[in-house]
Amino acid sequence: MALDYEESKQKIIEGLQKKSKTKSKFYFNDLAKILDAKPREAKKIVTQMINEGILEFWSSGSTSMYGLKGTGKQAGAEHENE
Amino acid sequence: MAKHETPLLDQLESGPWPSFVSDMKQEAEARAKNVNNVEYQIPSDVIEDLLGVLELSYKDGETHWKHGGIVGVFGYGGGVIGRYCDQPENFPGVAHFHTMRVNQPSGHFYTTEYLKQLCDLWEFRGSGLTNMHGSTGDIIFLGTFTPQLEEIFYEMTHKYDQDLGGSGSNLRTPSDCIGAARCEYACYDTQDLCTHLTLEYQDELHRPAFPYKFKFKFDGCPNCCVASIARADMSFIGTWKDDIQIDQEAVKGYVNGEFPPNGGAHAGRDWGAFDIQKEVVDRCPTQCMRYENGKLEINNRECTRCMHCINVMPRALRPGKQTGCSILVGAKAPILDGAQMSSLLLPFVEVNKENDYQEIKDVIESIWDWWMEEGKNRERLGELMKRQGFQKLLEVTGIDPIPQHVQEPRHNPYIFWKEEEVPGGFDRDIHEFRKHHQR
Amino acid sequence: MAFISSGYDPNNPMQDRITDIGPRNFEEFYPPVIKNNKGKWLYHEILQPGVLVHVSETGDEVYTVRVGGARLMSVSLIREICEIADKHCGGYIRWTTRNNVEFMVDSKDKVQPLIDDLQSRKFAGGSYKFPVGGTGAGITNIIHTQGWIHCHTPATDASGPVKSVMDEVFNDFQNMRLPAHLRISLACCLNMCGAVHCSDIAILGYHRKPPMIDHEYMDKMCEIPLAIAACPTAAIKPKKVEIDGKTVNSVEVNNSRCMFCGNCYTMCPGLPLADKEGDGIVLMVGGKVSNRLSAPKFSKVAVAFIPNEPPRWPKTAETIKKIVDTYAADARKYERLGEWAERIGWERFFEKCDLEFTHHLIDDFRDPAYYTWRQTTQFKF
Repeated sequence: MALDYEESKQKIIEGLQKKSKTKSKFYFNDLAKILDAKPREAKKIVTQMINEGILEFWSSGSTSMYGLKGTGKQAGAEHENE
Repeated sequence: MAKHETPLLDQLESGPWPSFVSDMKQEAEARAKNVNNVEYQIPSDVIEDLLGVLELSYKDGETHWKHGGIVGVFGYGGGVIGRYCDQPENFPGVAHFHTMRVNQPSGHFYTTEYLKQLCDLWEFRGSGLTNMHGSTGDIIFLGTFTPQLEEIFYEMTHKYDQDLGGSGSNLRTPSDCIGAARCEYACYDTQDLCTHLTLEYQDELHRPAFPYKFKFKFDGCPNCCVASIARADMSFIGTWKDDIQIDQEAVKGYVNGEFPPNGGAHAGRDWGAFDIQKEVVDRCPTQCMRYENGKLEINNRECTRCMHCINVMPRALRPGKQTGCSILVGAKAPILDGAQMSSLLLPFVEVNKENDYQEIKDVIESIWDWWMEEGKNRERLGELMKRQGFQKLLEVTGIDPIPQHVQEPRHNPYIFWKEEEVPGGFDRDIHEFRKHHQR
Repeated sequence: MAFISSGYDPNNPMQDRITDIGPRNFEEFYPPVIKNNKGKWLYHEILQPGVLVHVSETGDEVYTVRVGGARLMSVSLIREICEIADKHCGGYIRWTTRNNVEFMVDSKDKVQPLIDDLQSRKFAGGSYKFPVGGTGAGITNIIHTQGWIHCHTPATDASGPVKSVMDEVFNDFQNMRLPAHLRISLACCLNMCGAVHCSDIAILGYHRKPPMIDHEYMDKMCEIPLAIAACPTAAIKPKKVEIDGKTVNSVEVNNSRCMFCGNCYTMCPGLPLADKEGDGIVLMVGGKVSNRLSAPKFSKVAVAFIPNEPPRWPKTAETIKKIVDTYAADARKYERLGEWAERIGWERFFEKCDLEFTHHLIDDFRDPAYYTWRQTTQFKF
């Protein structure tokens, strides 16, 4: 069954905010776990959240992570430069 | 007059090999002169500052770059690597120095018209320095400022019909050998398969949702010119099932010294006259050939298609006609638990354009489903295979075990039998047992 | 420097956005002789170092002149390549997987003028722009990573050592005297974003000091759990540290577990590890990717450490030259460097190449180590 977008979006936002004190970046699998969904289903939700500007990518070059847009300690430094 | 003195780098201008320092200096000068009145969108002295900061690294023995992880183009999780200088006051031209990976055309063929378009774009909106090409195969645009990233992407997609490549936890830009385009050894059309799968999996390439990076590489034959067996999570290596094609007249030509062995590759030294017995027959790893009465015979059933005899006598021998590819999986560089080569999964797959390579896609997708669910963060496919076992890989892909899958059978008898494999199952009645065995 | 818009609207990124179109199709870029003969090639021959002919069943021939080049390339140099390709090759050009450039012409009479043109072009500093070579049983271009020109975790430069080594072995780029082809690769740190682990000779940048810890700024710059999670050997733990009477959150590093990969620094700029004395080069030898004769092989560490010696890395270049010359003199025809070392035995390899064997060269990293020790009485004195 397809996931409901609005409901899933809230779950992810709440899930990430809960942990925001210690970290702002999460692996894709962490998001799939929050949704308790198969990776391919979770990806549809996450992609839409990226396209709406709620989530943003972070990349080490070799690994990618996701976070709520504008959060995190490096975000300030990098967005300042824009 | 150069902006920064570069006494150390200057020493890399001498010697015969093309000097990147000379090239950079030449480009710095061209930007300063700007004969075409380009409205440079990033500092015109970017290369001067790059030479300056590189000279500083040569003096310090340490890099002066910092990683940046957030910059990219909207909606894509890969294709841009963020980079900042840790001495921006001294080298403002490279305060930002992000790279963009541009998905190369398969086979690395270009028209000059197209290359010049890319050059114009990159001179205008970036440093004018590139890598031709990056390790994975992309065209690399080396160094621009954040505000230019979207502009470059917009122009590239709108004017030049060109997309970015991959980076991060996604499908990396697939790459291939020259293949049938200009190589007689190619057993399938590497360019077509590479491009087809690149287009098929654009979402996987641009929007990372894998545990880690994933690479496809396409080698047309077992010579493996793109090193797929060493560095691709899925290596597609051309092979054939039937007999090596022999032109006996041409074999004689080699024996009589009419043709240089190995396509002339050894012409730089006098190795003596070509000796087919010593150089081909005796070197054959399976000893499946003989040369008698002016005739070369191959016991094709015993041949393992190592390519040696074909490489030595390309005019006389050719791969068979029933061609396709072997699929091997799980290669990676050493980090972390040690390097892995790809392991053979499918000995022979038809590479069939007519059905859009469906058989190959089925294998790819069953592997991805497994790895996306079971792979730990930053675990390559090869490591998952080691952790869960080759049997698991066979199970998820629905492939039956065959002796070709192993170099040799296991060294220990610790087989984890499954209940359904043992007659009567695991459930037994201890009371029944005790009727015949005292405590 | 006025900002010129491409048409992109930052307030509305999705407007007219084009995505997921992939690369340009290769078919547009084939020269006619390639397009007409794809899949029909019968055989090839190397006519002289750097010059190949491929012959098709249609009777067509394509002549390829291969030239070396730095992977780092300016748009001016690419335009010069285009100018040459326009003049001689009908406006088509290609690169190889090892950073060489290939100029193709469809008849033999076009070859010499092309070679003359290429060989005549030099940089102001005196080096060739387009040296012809890189074919057959010789040394072709070095594939490499970024190094100090762009990377944030390199333990050495890339372009500098590559230039220095290629100058040293340049004769073997333009000659084909070796027993088989010999592939050199360089990766500027152990993460090997350019996979060098199956090369005849691999030049690998290596750090030897664990990261420094910028305690005062750790909690301001970094997300500590991410730095901890980034460590592949679990050497990093959280720790509270006192700075000027204030307790701050930071980490401690178990130095004996650190493998010097720099992954923590990628996640957290508060953990830099580059160091002038600590960093340098490891040489690995004997790898291959081809299935020819023997199975593909991993490269093995032959020299544990050579200090960085910018700008010319003389010790690295000399050591490689010595290995190449010893191999050239001693190996049999068709034998790759690794096959030669296995035939004569690694004990002989070290002796002949005049390389010191130290405890650093015995594997002690996890499971695969055991399989590299000697489990036989067969060895050479």
